[in-house]
Amino acid sequence: MNLQVVYCNHLTADLEVREKLAFPNEEVLERAYQSLRHRFPRSEHVVVSTCNRVELYSAQEDPADAPTHLQLAEFFSEFHHIPLESLLDGFLEYQGSDAVRHLFEVASSIDSMVLGESQIVNQIKAAYELARQTDANGPLTSALFQRALAVSGRVRTETRLAEGKVSIASVAVGEFGKSIFDRFDDKTVLVVGAGEMATETLVYLQDEGVHEILVCNRSLERAKRLAEEFSGQAKAWDYLQHCLAAADVIVCTTGADRPVITRAMMQQVRKQTGPRPLFILDLGAPRDVEASVGNLDDGVFLYDIDDLDATCERNRKKRVQEVQQARVIIEEETSRFMQDVYHKATGPIVKRLRENWDEISRLELEILFRKLPDLGERERLAIEKSMYRIVNKLLHPPLETLREEARTGTPHGMIDAIKRLFRLE
Amino acid sequence: MLELSKVSLFCFLCSYAVALAVEMTQFMHRSFAARLATMLFGLAGFVAHTSYLLTRSQQHDLPPLLSSTHDWMLVSAWLTMALYLGIQLWNPRLSFGIFALPLVLLLVCVAPFASRTPIPQVQHMRVWSMFHATFWALGIVGVLLALLVSLMYLVQHQRLKQKKAELPALHLFSLERLSRTNWWLIIISVPMQTLGVISGLWMIYLSKTGSDPVDLISLTVGLNALMWIVMVMLFGWMLASRRPTGRVVAIRTVLACLFMMLTLLVMMVGSTDGIHGKPEPGLAGGQA
Repeated sequence: MNLQVVYCNHLTADLEVREKLAFPNEEVLERAYQSLRHRFPRSEHVVVSTCNRVELYSAQEDPADAPTHLQLAEFFSEFHHIPLESLLDGFLEYQGSDAVRHLFEVASSIDSMVLGESQIVNQIKAAYELARQTDANGPLTSALFQRALAVSGRVRTETRLAEGKVSIASVAVGEFGKSIFDRFDDKTVLVVGAGEMATETLVYLQDEGVHEILVCNRSLERAKRLAEEFSGQAKAWDYLQHCLAAADVIVCTTGADRPVITRAMMQQVRKQTGPRPLFILDLGAPRDVEASVGNLDDGVFLYDIDDLDATCERNRKKRVQEVQQARVIIEEETSRFMQDVYHKATGPIVKRLRENWDEISRLELEILFRKLPDLGERERLAIEKSMYRIVNKLLHPPLETLREEARTGTPHGMIDAIKRLFRLE
Repeated sequence: MLELSKVSLFCFLCSYAVALAVEMTQFMHRSFAARLATMLFGLAGFVAHTSYLLTRSQQHDLPPLLSSTHDWMLVSAWLTMALYLGIQLWNPRLSFGIFALPLVLLLVCVAPFASRTPIPQVQHMRVWSMFHATFWALGIVGVLLALLVSLMYLVQHQRLKQKKAELPALHLFSLERLSRTNWWLIIISVPMQTLGVISGLWMIYLSKTGSDPVDLISLTVGLNALMWIVMVMLFGWMLASRRPTGRVVAIRTVLACLFMMLTLLVMMVGSTDGIHGKPEPGLAGGQA
């Protein structure tokens, strides 16, 4: 069995690189899974693509079927039309227990930009669900992702990681928004996009006192649903420019694969509004706002995910202890998961060995009972029980040794030895 | 109390300098103890400063504002310091000291070079002198505070434009509040200065009938008028311009304030007309 992950995240690559590699919406992801199935038919896959990371988890029953680092890089290169050379250095890879530990860290959000943020759990759930719907995953990745979600829950319950400012929106508004505006209750907030990130941002902004909320989304239906939840107004996509002119705070969270707010668009808007302060938070990957919008005038303050890095790092340093506690749990869960995986690999041989011995004992008992037809039901039962105990006691030492060996890895040598010793081929 | 009467300018100058030095250490290592020490040194200096002004006032039997230009400058520093201590008590996280303490130190350092002799007209026109000095003190302190607020605005704006995280040792108000505060400071200070100019002109008129007449055509009056015109231009622009950006307002405020400070310096060093007391010996004007 083999488990591997190739990934790039906010620690290894800039947003400029990540947005090129991202799978911004379900449609793109479904195409990616088709391509992966075509290239690596004997592998299971799950892709986790968020604003902070692009990660491809793969698993195979037979390690010989595992794609190489180069093959996976080629997939990304061809799928996104990016030169292969530009990818080779930026993509990192983990195998086996390292890959498992990495996913557990991601799910527990200790690998997140904002330590303890809860959104990653839903993003992982969504990624796993989509892989399941498209039949891209399999038993190994299913077990891995289900365990990752359980580990995330355990870390959140047993540590104080999820306390305090734990969303990108809260960090962005706390670090930059509150340095621009004194208060938010007299400001108009425009949310472009209606996804989960938009919801989370609005929850935080509403806590800050925002009353005037506009939600503009390509799907008016989804915009209405979100606006209703926060007592805001839903606006059709055609009214985006009007909304931009009315807003003091713009939060962009669309899954678009190119900027939806361009410099030319904002130039028109600023002609109407003048240079009053405008706080734009672009949480999209790929970015939703052209970077040059930030240089339009003195009043425009544009921030994307990577601009929050320094603040998040500062918060991280303050919470080293919680991270250490989380790592202890993750380490324990990783070895437990790996033991389960290794143990699962010995399952077929144990089953066959037990079936073989049970069959032998059953045949011997039949012969014995034919020779002793006067035995009563009670005696027969006692003999059967004795035979069962003998088989179990004889099987116990080799199976225990096999289990012990499986703690550190799949015991290929011992499995082969048992097969040969007991002629289980 | 007797001990406090022996306080010299050097005592509170040192207290303020130490307070500023301790405040600067926050950039290297942020600690509550250092912040507390800044406040305590500032407070100690403020008590000494108050005592010094009271002693001087008793010596001349005049309110501190009227004693001399020297005392007038120290009153301005005292007002700035009082405001600093008040703001720090209200919001201890705010890094106001980095901006306010250098200004206080500048005023205290310059004060020994200003005239220490009482202004001759004060005894005849005590009430008008009080009005004149108060309006100018409030006007100038207001503009100096506008300078501090504008500098804070520019620092904050620069950080936000460069997308840098806030330094814990440099926690400032939001741009919105700084911009609003700056606007109000100018809008209040310039009318104060205008009232100072009017009361000054009225005092010149009244002096014509007295024993010590003041000439309208003098360097002090001319520089004051020039300084006032610049501030009125800033005031007019702020009221008249449509949608100015906070940054442009801050830059213009800084320029106007720097001009005002330069004018005050020239007036102090170069003026020989003695309208605001005899210049200190050793200065250019003092030789005359």
